[in-house]
Amino acid sequence: MATLQSTAARVAPGRRLEGSLTGPAQRPRAYVVGLAALAAVGGFIFLLTSPTQALLGESAWALNSALHGLGAGVLMIGVTVGLFQAYRLYRGDSISIGEMQIGSLFTAAASLVTIFYGNWIYIAYRASAPTSPRSYFLENMPQVHQVFFEFKEFLALYTLPLAVGAAFMIWYYGDQLRTRPAIRNAVAVTLVLAFFYFAVAFGLGAAVTKLRAV
Amino acid sequence: MAVTLTPVSRIEVEQTSVKPTGAAGAALLSGGLGLFAMSISQVMAEGSEAAKTAIHNLGKLWIPGAQGIGPYSGKETIALAVWLVSWAILHYVLRRREINLTAYGIAFLLLIGLSTTIFWPPATHAVVQAFYPK
Repeated sequence: MATLQSTAARVAPGRRLEGSLTGPAQRPRAYVVGLAALAAVGGFIFLLTSPTQALLGESAWALNSALHGLGAGVLMIGVTVGLFQAYRLYRGDSISIGEMQIGSLFTAAASLVTIFYGNWIYIAYRASAPTSPRSYFLENMPQVHQVFFEFKEFLALYTLPLAVGAAFMIWYYGDQLRTRPAIRNAVAVTLVLAFFYFAVAFGLGAAVTKLRAV
Repeated sequence: MAVTLTPVSRIEVEQTSVKPTGAAGAALLSGGLGLFAMSISQVMAEGSEAAKTAIHNLGKLWIPGAQGIGPYSGKETIALAVWLVSWAILHYVLRRREINLTAYGIAFLLLIGLSTTIFWPPATHAVVQAFYPK
């Protein structure tokens, strides 16, 4: 009993631990402000003191392809978190509905943005000019276009209905997900598939871009 | 008497607020239908020049830059239209029904799996050969 009281006294939030890194987390707003400050400082230094344009390249499609890649990067975070949430849903573990709602919306939006910019740079990819990636592949390594890219361009689209479907179910059923295994499993399957189709499209997209960028 | 009725009415409210599984079934099945329709449009575009032109024209109706995107824009349009229209219809029909979600889930997985197989280019060519023999 004496030990228990002693332990409780150590972990209880008190004046001594307030502001300490070892104290219990009580202020989510401070966490968000901290992250925002890091992003602002990092972004400010990065954008103002570095030749960012050099990283984008000289192509007329540089910005669109950068936004497509950025969207895919953000989507990767969303579907990876979704994969973890799917595991917890399937196991029947405790879940945070609020986190899932925000995360699923974020993932669906990232999928839409990635597809939107992917459509734009597809124009450059399939241009008839001999320097376009499609012309280059058909001339030098036809399988890259005829097999891998043709497969990737469609599988990338799967992420949108899957991510939107999962987001809809998470928002529509909300707290009922805690007690309804059938719907939990439906959401879990959808989230796992979103991760799978993203992984295939992202892997093939990165490989194709490595061989010939727009 | 009033004390006895209060918890009973609360339970009734909680029971009626449980949302049927129909909406989840509609969300699943419509996604599968949209993607399967897109795979059918791919086979049609590969098998027939007339179909390819018609599918491309669908994309040109609303997608900016569809001329440069090609028939892919029409295939996206078909997927989007079938997905969203079938979702709206299925949601309206099923939203108040308790359905067998396993059956809908299996149908969804079959549609997704079949469409993925059709999109694998060697399989696409085999299906095109079967439906559009030359």
